[in-house]
Amino acid sequence: MSAKGVLGHLSLLEVQARSLKTQPQQQQSRVKELKVKVEELITQRDQLRAEIQTHQTLQKLRTSMDKQCTDEEDEEMNEDSENSQFLRLMARHTQLKDLLHAHHLIGGYDIIKTRQGKGVCVSLATAYEGTYLDMFNLEIDLKPTLRICRHNIPPFIPLNSIAEQSNMQTDIRAFLDTLSQHLNAFAGRKHQLKLVKELHKSVEVMESNVLCSVLVLMFTLPREKTAVLCMLDYTDHTRCLPTRVSFESEDKKLPESPQWKKNYNLLMETPVHKALITMKKMGNIA
Amino acid sequence: MDDPMKRLLQRLIRRIPSQMLKITLDKWGRLTAAQQRSMDFTQPKRVLTEKLLSICEENEWTVKHVTELEMIYIMDNPNQGMWNALQLMDPEDDSPSVNLMQFKEQFKSHLGEIVRHVSVKMKKHTDEAIWIRIAWGDGFSRSNHLKPTYVVHQLQTPYVFVTSLTSKQKPLLSQALILATRYQNIKDANLSGQKLTAIRDLLMRQYQQVFPNKYHSPLTEKTQTVLNTQIEREQAESAANRCQMACEAFGDGMLPQLQSAVYKLETKFRDPANKTMTEREEPFRCVVKFASTNLLESLRQCASSGVASTPVTPLLSSIPLKGKNYFVVTDNGPGSSQK
Repeated sequence: MSAKGVLGHLSLLEVQARSLKTQPQQQQSRVKELKVKVEELITQRDQLRAEIQTHQTLQKLRTSMDKQCTDEEDEEMNEDSENSQFLRLMARHTQLKDLLHAHHLIGGYDIIKTRQGKGVCVSLATAYEGTYLDMFNLEIDLKPTLRICRHNIPPFIPLNSIAEQSNMQTDIRAFLDTLSQHLNAFAGRKHQLKLVKELHKSVEVMESNVLCSVLVLMFTLPREKTAVLCMLDYTDHTRCLPTRVSFESEDKKLPESPQWKKNYNLLMETPVHKALITMKKMGNIA
Repeated sequence: MDDPMKRLLQRLIRRIPSQMLKITLDKWGRLTAAQQRSMDFTQPKRVLTEKLLSICEENEWTVKHVTELEMIYIMDNPNQGMWNALQLMDPEDDSPSVNLMQFKEQFKSHLGEIVRHVSVKMKKHTDEAIWIRIAWGDGFSRSNHLKPTYVVHQLQTPYVFVTSLTSKQKPLLSQALILATRYQNIKDANLSGQKLTAIRDLLMRQYQQVFPNKYHSPLTEKTQTVLNTQIEREQAESAANRCQMACEAFGDGMLPQLQSAVYKLETKFRDPANKTMTEREEPFRCVVKFASTNLLESLRQCASSGVASTPVTPLLSSIPLKGKNYFVVTDNGPGSSQK
């Protein structure tokens, strides 16, 4: 027991002596570490300061640029230094990015580069009465001429003839605007048909088509319990309202009656699902 | 009693699987309540056929009634047989305004003029598609109801789907179709499959296509199902890239089920190790066929797993892009034959 105790104590002292030898070295290396850390932090602080400075300059430039856009004045040329030109470019870049984002938020089309700039992808959102509906996409090759290589636009939208008629090669904005018109109108008509089927179970949809350009409805008169056939033609495919409304019933005088003249106006001027609500309220249909 | 009618009914009952028989008969609605009750659908087909034949005599059904039943069955179960797609070309100015009544009248009258003894039945399906059943006859015989052609078309689209159409009947049908739809021409769309719904969805783009988009990339979220944060996938980025490219080429989610793709090669033989073949002047004729229960799904998996190189070769991505599964490949590049 006593031997263990003494030997144990000796080895403890040995360890302590050893550690004392290395400690100053440890302390030195620790100091070195901390000094390096200090340098790093100083560099980082300087970097952050420079970034803040650039950001503030950019903000100033942006505000003056936005003001100039609204005032339509010529841009001032401050210093001609490379630095200021570069900053002006950056400010313009952020301005354009914000503009694109705003365009996206209001339901306009998005456009992004694909395949290292060899093509673009355009996304056209459709919406009707505040509800976002389907999104359509086009992938367009840029060289040698503009060519639509891929899309998810349904085949009953005449994509190729729209491209030809609006000169897609020279005026892509006109092409996209026309296409967007067609798609939004189609989505709107389709949505109206969906609402008619959901909200007006008493009205029977006799005929419709995939383009939603033809709609034939059957109304029941509330008192007489007879039927009236209503034909809606949407021959202008860029609009959500019909171009022609006609009624057919056993009573040949019915379409001429003031009630049904009112119905005619309603159907020509308001979206069909809303017109039906009014017609029901007026007691014209069941 | 009509012998042809009996044969037609027998054939039809044999064709309809037992589980579908009750549903189809109910939908048809030509059995009285008493007759419906008397049918025991657990009995073998042979017995059911006998029963129906006797009900048929009771109700004095004709061929017309039986073809009605057949049409109901086919319309509800379209994914059998072999369907081919045709494409209408060069629309006239008034083709967008062709309506259902017009089409029906024009088609029946034009076909009636070109074919004697033809029996045409038309029905509109809930998805606005017009179904046409044609029983062909000729100058010598009455319409053959045992081998009818079925045609499916949606107005204002350029596609027509046909099944059981012989090469003799094709030009007659084509003529009637272009006159009724107010187009100038019709050609083979080089797309065929057992499932009508699949080839139709492919051409009408009724599946989820994937496009490069700035505002959200739902596909990358899928590959990031991290179960254990301690495990890092070495090639996660390239896997996500492959997945994105595979989905851009073929689509996302459920893909239309095609069963095959055929490439007819008319290209020169190229193999530096085989001089005899390479030296030949004429192209090396060969046909490559891919077959699968779900071709597009398997091709997509090939691409996303790395078995097929990405970006996906146009030879494969042309299938959904062009909506074809028959290609003739010449040395100038893949094209499609104009049959």
